[in-house]
Amino acid sequence: MTIFLQSLISGILIGGVYALIGIGLTIIFGVMRVINFAHGDLLMLGMYATYFLFTLLGVDPFVSIVFTIPLMFLYGGVLQKVFINRILNSLPQNQILLTIGLGLIMSNAVMLAFTSDYKILTTSYSSGSVDILGISVSQPLVISFVITAAITALLYWFLLKTDTGQAIRATAQDREAAQLMGINVKRMSIIAFGLGASLAGTAGALISPTYYIFPQVGSSFTLKAFVITVLGGMGSIVGATLGGILIGIAESIGGVYLGSGWKEVIVFVLFLLVLLFKPSGLMGKSNA
Amino acid sequence: MRMLPQSLVNKRGASPVRVVLTLAVVALLFFFPRLVESTYALHIMILIFISIIMGSSWNILGGYTGQYSVGHAAYFGVGAYMTMMLLQFKQIPPWYGMWAGMAAALLTALVIGTICFRLRGPYFVLASIAVAEIFRVTTLNLKEITNGAEGILATELPPLRIGGTVITDFLTKVPFYYAGLVCVLLIIAISLGVQHSKLGYYFQAIREDQDAAHSLGINLTVYKNAALAISAVFTSLAGSLYAIYVGFIDPTTVLALDLSVQIVLICIIGGIGTIFGPVIGALVLIPLSEALRSNVIAEGLIKSGLVNAESGVGTFLTDHLSHAHVLIYGILVVIVILYMPDGVLGFFSNLAAKRNRGNA
Repeated sequence: MTIFLQSLISGILIGGVYALIGIGLTIIFGVMRVINFAHGDLLMLGMYATYFLFTLLGVDPFVSIVFTIPLMFLYGGVLQKVFINRILNSLPQNQILLTIGLGLIMSNAVMLAFTSDYKILTTSYSSGSVDILGISVSQPLVISFVITAAITALLYWFLLKTDTGQAIRATAQDREAAQLMGINVKRMSIIAFGLGASLAGTAGALISPTYYIFPQVGSSFTLKAFVITVLGGMGSIVGATLGGILIGIAESIGGVYLGSGWKEVIVFVLFLLVLLFKPSGLMGKSNA
Repeated sequence: MRMLPQSLVNKRGASPVRVVLTLAVVALLFFFPRLVESTYALHIMILIFISIIMGSSWNILGGYTGQYSVGHAAYFGVGAYMTMMLLQFKQIPPWYGMWAGMAAALLTALVIGTICFRLRGPYFVLASIAVAEIFRVTTLNLKEITNGAEGILATELPPLRIGGTVITDFLTKVPFYYAGLVCVLLIIAISLGVQHSKLGYYFQAIREDQDAAHSLGINLTVYKNAALAISAVFTSLAGSLYAIYVGFIDPTTVLALDLSVQIVLICIIGGIGTIFGPVIGALVLIPLSEALRSNVIAEGLIKSGLVNAESGVGTFLTDHLSHAHVLIYGILVVIVILYMPDGVLGFFSNLAAKRNRGNA
């Protein structure tokens, strides 16, 4: 029972970070109807930024998000302005291929610059643990979950309460109508991609104390992000939050009871089942 | 929706010049190993052949039928693994093993197709990726059957005998060259057949407008599955060929997402939904990535005096350019999608069409 509770709790904690990745992807999809296949690579860039801030300047990985968030936001905005904006009206498969191409460029440019060696970011608390109700949980996971929860709350506030947030949601609901109402949809797209990129980058920063850092780390997170967003319903932010936590739990419990090699299979089988029986996702409208 | 460049569609009424030219190219390809001694040239040709087979197979599903599978590594891997497992663990020669691979791929395709073709557009793309990933992770985990992450190394290839006489003992690259060439001709013939048959018209109708095709009485599930079946069987053949040629396979080379993407790229770069698109794509991609891998380009730049070998740029290029071929893939895709959405072939025939219009 302790093992079950322990894996459940660490599943929820890691699920928080997954939710962050999923929310980023779902915002981008919601506003632009583009599936961002470079999402994991944005996360990878966040990991490398954190790694170098830590090793060169001694910035704590959890503090470094103060730098990674604006940096990744700018980077995402530029990507949107230079590349994605030009293919918004082309075939979905071309959009997918463009983002795949951008992802390949990012991961391989990083590989050329810093080699494909695994890098490890070791902090004083990397292997520390905390007791929650008598169950010991990894300390970096707990810290990252707290930060994730704060960021998610902030994001909900931004999207629900501020004018820009409402404009973004309006653009996601109906691009043309939003434009007719005087919303600058191009700017909203840039903000949306910037947000998505900075969320992915933040997730990268938060997991860097517990994961290996290498140029190809992105693709597994890209796939995970798809699973999360489809599970929650494409474009639904609440769905992505729930989806992230569900996937975290499924992975963690599956890893304990079926062996860590099989945990990815569980995630993908779950994914296929959702695609087949409820393609609109848990929170999506059923018109897919 | 996408339209084929007119110049490619109308030339079907084969002119004598075209027939002679085609025969000349095929004859040249058959004599190539006699004319060229270099094993490296043969190696490049074999890689190009394998790429053409993969690309053309994908093209039948992705190009003609419009179903963008980004999980074709699954079928490539099924072919490669079936052939190698039978060869290494059961001592069954690959020319029987590859049939087993094709049968297995057909079966997989029908199962996957029935499940995934209920989905459309981006959902289908995601499902195809998920299926391929399930295959990769399962192969990694079933260590007793597949050797897991260690992969399978072919220790010895038995000589091919027909009625007691040894046809070839596979000691040189020549038999692989001919095997590849025959398969390439086969898949091009099949693509031609598909493109100009009733089946092909059904495929293209599904690509242009699924709902319209459906309302005209085309059974979507049946014809999409037919396209996938043809596509999967020949992708598996490419996998078998690759496995026995290279002699080593593991899940990260024959079942990876990178491979699925590369298969799509061959078609995108050449031109989707055309017979020669995959050929052009393979002719662009393989020599380029091989030139980068073997550092020819870096050396060339230094020799031509453009870059000083001792300078920072020179040493950087010699050290790193050999790892850059995937980076170049990425850059190529971005350029092609933004500036040549019909691929290299479509780009040039559009250009030619524009010039003709200008002259008229």
